[in-house]
Amino acid sequence: MTPDGGTSGAVSESQRRDTRPAKSAVDRPSSGPATRGDDPVIESRNLDVFYGDDQALHGINMKIPERQVTALIGPSGCGKSTFLRSINRMNDLIDIARVEGELLFRGKNVYDDDVDPVALRRKIGMIFQKPNPFPKSIFDNVAYGLKVQGMTDDLEEQVHTALERAALIDEVEGRLDESGLELSGGQQQRLCIARAIATDPEVILMDEPASALDPVATSKIEDLIEDLAEEYTVVIVTHNMQQAARISDKTAVFLTGGELVEFGETNQIFENPDHDRVEDYITGKFG
Amino acid sequence: MARQSYQEQLTELREDVLYMSEVVMERLRMGLDALEQKDVELAEEVIEGDGEVNRMYLDLEQDCIDLLALQQPVASDLRFIAASFKIITDLERIGDLATNLGEYTIDAERDLFPDVDVQEMGTLTLQMIEDAMIAYDTEDVDFCYELADRDDDLDHFAERASEIVVRDLIERELESPDEVEYLLQDVSRLLLTIRDLERVGDHAVNIAARTLYMVENDDELIY
Repeated sequence: MTPDGGTSGAVSESQRRDTRPAKSAVDRPSSGPATRGDDPVIESRNLDVFYGDDQALHGINMKIPERQVTALIGPSGCGKSTFLRSINRMNDLIDIARVEGELLFRGKNVYDDDVDPVALRRKIGMIFQKPNPFPKSIFDNVAYGLKVQGMTDDLEEQVHTALERAALIDEVEGRLDESGLELSGGQQQRLCIARAIATDPEVILMDEPASALDPVATSKIEDLIEDLAEEYTVVIVTHNMQQAARISDKTAVFLTGGELVEFGETNQIFENPDHDRVEDYITGKFG
Repeated sequence: MARQSYQEQLTELREDVLYMSEVVMERLRMGLDALEQKDVELAEEVIEGDGEVNRMYLDLEQDCIDLLALQQPVASDLRFIAASFKIITDLERIGDLATNLGEYTIDAERDLFPDVDVQEMGTLTLQMIEDAMIAYDTEDVDFCYELADRDDDLDHFAERASEIVVRDLIERELESPDEVEYLLQDVSRLLLTIRDLERVGDHAVNIAARTLYMVENDDELIY
């Protein structure tokens, strides 16, 4: 398969039913109604990213399908995190970063002048490698984004729902006023996921979300990611290839030099990749 | 190269599967010789040797499980281990069929049907296993397809041989019913021998089919 990939996932349409209420057109940067499942929610076209004179990504073309887990894998320095961060313009925070080409979110280039990066990041949330809860109570961590956006109707219910979706509610019920920092690493990460989904984004970007966690906590996060993909589009960077194989529907393989070498169904990538370089990388013969 | 020990384990698995195939072919050869020469001692050796084949099978099965569990292979490595896992099952079954030949030798009482050349059929099947294992070792896809075609010849051979045996039995019954009763066990044994050798050919094709999958991710020859 070409790096453009197909948009039909390994998981059937019926398994990815739309259960969320439709968004208002105002919420979306794109025009017209959004379709679920078929069209890519994110599409990069000839995307180049530079850090000063260094080119970190070369002409990336990729269509990320809705409500599936797309894994980005590759060796250190291959540009996978750069690509992830370019989706919600986190690279804007780096002075020397420069982007060329297009990164479309529901058909709208997120780098257009009329796109507000803060509004964009509400639609495309991000989870980092190290859990970063605020030094506030569990409740306030989740309620924070809701309050900032004035979404304070039924605040308790919204917080409860987010904690439930993040598979954390059973472990924190009855002690929501305790500090988020007192939770275990895995619980803190799920708290961050609850915080990210409380404001009901469409896409969740994850940058090695389980790499600092033990196997049990990792397993819970992986289960959660699969559940989240029923409602959200998940894009995850991971160094753990088996994790990518376990939880993703699609896999993109970036290799040294900031090049997307192959993008396709995860089982095809891990059972019979088209490219020898990908074969060498995933079987450990490269590097 | 990264993961050197892992690569060595893969090489070792290939060598061990090839070694197991040599042992199994030797057992089949011995079974055919025992049958031809009515050599009961050799037949007992084949039967007793089955335990060694079974142990090899279990060891290699464990090696495959260990590789899957500990190395989490992917792509061509995964297909190689998956194919090897299946191929050792075919080899173990061929070992069992060789054992059957030993048992038929011990039970047999007389020569029947000189028109049925069991030895020729045995030679054909031995060649098929050998070629299947060459295809596995050298990843020769053309050989895999060629082997599948050759199995049709073996099937026709088996069909013709069975026809000869059954026709002869019917004719004998018409001529002298008492003799048929007397020969029935030997006739059954001969039909089982033909069937077993035909099955050896099927296992050789299975090996070729798994090899084709291993090399090209192509399941065309599987079933």
